[in-house]
Amino acid sequence: MEKLIAFLEKNFSTPMAKLSEQKHLRAIRDGVVSALPFIIFGSIFLIIAFPPVPKDSMIAHWAASHISEILIPYRLTMFIMTLYITFGIGYNLSQSYKLDPLSGGLLSVAAFLFSIGVQTFNTAFFLPMANLGGHGLFVGMIVSIFAVEVLRLCKHSNFTIKLPDSVPPSVFRSFESLIPVAIVLIIMTIVTVVFGVNLHSLVDRAVAPLVKAGDTLPGVLIPVFLITFFWSFGIHGVSVVGAVARPVWEVYLGNNSSAVASGQAIPHIAPETFFQWFVWIGGSGATLGLVIAMFLVGRSSYSKTMARTTVVPSLFNINEPVIFGMPIVLNPVLIIPFIVTPLIGASLAYGATALGFVTATYVQVPWTLPAPIGAYLATGGDWRAIILVLINIAISIVVYLPFFRIYDKKLLLQEQTTDVSDHNTLAL
Amino acid sequence: MKILFVCSGGMSSAIVVNALKKEAAKEGLALEVKAVGTQEFAQEVKNGWDLAMVAPQVRHIFDTFLAQATEASVPCELIPPQAYNPLGGPTLLKVVKQGVQQ
Repeated sequence: MEKLIAFLEKNFSTPMAKLSEQKHLRAIRDGVVSALPFIIFGSIFLIIAFPPVPKDSMIAHWAASHISEILIPYRLTMFIMTLYITFGIGYNLSQSYKLDPLSGGLLSVAAFLFSIGVQTFNTAFFLPMANLGGHGLFVGMIVSIFAVEVLRLCKHSNFTIKLPDSVPPSVFRSFESLIPVAIVLIIMTIVTVVFGVNLHSLVDRAVAPLVKAGDTLPGVLIPVFLITFFWSFGIHGVSVVGAVARPVWEVYLGNNSSAVASGQAIPHIAPETFFQWFVWIGGSGATLGLVIAMFLVGRSSYSKTMARTTVVPSLFNINEPVIFGMPIVLNPVLIIPFIVTPLIGASLAYGATALGFVTATYVQVPWTLPAPIGAYLATGGDWRAIILVLINIAISIVVYLPFFRIYDKKLLLQEQTTDVSDHNTLAL
Repeated sequence: MKILFVCSGGMSSAIVVNALKKEAAKEGLALEVKAVGTQEFAQEVKNGWDLAMVAPQVRHIFDTFLAQATEASVPCELIPPQAYNPLGGPTLLKVVKQGVQQ
């Protein structure tokens, strides 16, 4: 077992984790993350527009008659999330190349706007807002990478306008990026205006299989497994897997929320919010169940101390203290339930959502909320989501309990046979 | 002593920071400790820290942090996994002391 772990760490987890820090992947992930405050802010207005109250109540009537006004803050943030994300990607990628991040961010936004397809109506001009949303995320990713790569190429080949040193830096910067801006935007104009290529429908078709696959049961279980797999070696699983999966999750969330806003059926089961609220209860590995099991049957003083110190962070889904404290990392006994529990929880939640027992998630709230509250809000106020969370907590207790018992016995034995006051070194 | 911690979001290390502070207080050592997320690190490390400590779960980014810290002439250490929990204060303080001396 130990040999296997060492082998996996050397040949899988470490190289894959390093790969996830590849510049473009990291820029995309950080770009998406930088837009989260706007997404969270906007999605709250979905709850206000569709309040979880009886349909004939005053509040429901008020909301129904003012729905388009209530949704304006949502339309200008979450609904057009890719506009924000594109800036974030361009900014972060330029920063990692040590280029001027502001130029990179702005150029990415401009390149993205060129892909939208301006429409004219009488004499007025319109941007189809839907293309600025989660739906257009893949186009946003591609064009912002393209934009920053051109910027980098121009800088490295010294193909920029040079000014004397006496010119103030801010003026210098704007001239410096003039040539790459012109190159990027002329190319975008040629593609989208001269040749009239609709990048959005083109990319939609290309990524359709991926978008479809990520929403199936295997598409849900694979990232769940990989995330706990990485954590088993003490590597932040969500940050590694998210580098690849986050764009797809964000597309689901964008599509789900805009479907709700326009009164249509919710199309996707598995945005990131699905994992956050139904699977990662107490943090990656659904470790709240472990902490509860520690309270229920823990006999060693180390387990008791751990239970007391980790329960509060666990309620808010922070579980590094459990993962590194127990530890779960490189601990063959606890790794088994750590990997199995979330797979069961995810399968159950997937089934419950697919069969319509629970509303699919479409609201993004901060991940540090306790799971029942987070799940209730993420489903737009579906009380059945709370039941699902409670069932999953119960399952996680049951799965963790026997494994924890074995480990706890070992700890107890060590405590009885050695007289060590420093419990921390004892457990390791 | 000014110590900068970095983890994924700056949250879990905040818990560990408390354990470190408690342990340092026992020895009457004055510590100024701050926890940041991976994205804030590059900027924050420039603000005159004595030591940068990298959480074990982001160790795959250690090389990047090390480069950023070196640029700001701040020594950079990896936190051993065993020390990264609420009871890890004593081990952690030992690592911090060693890291600052180097």
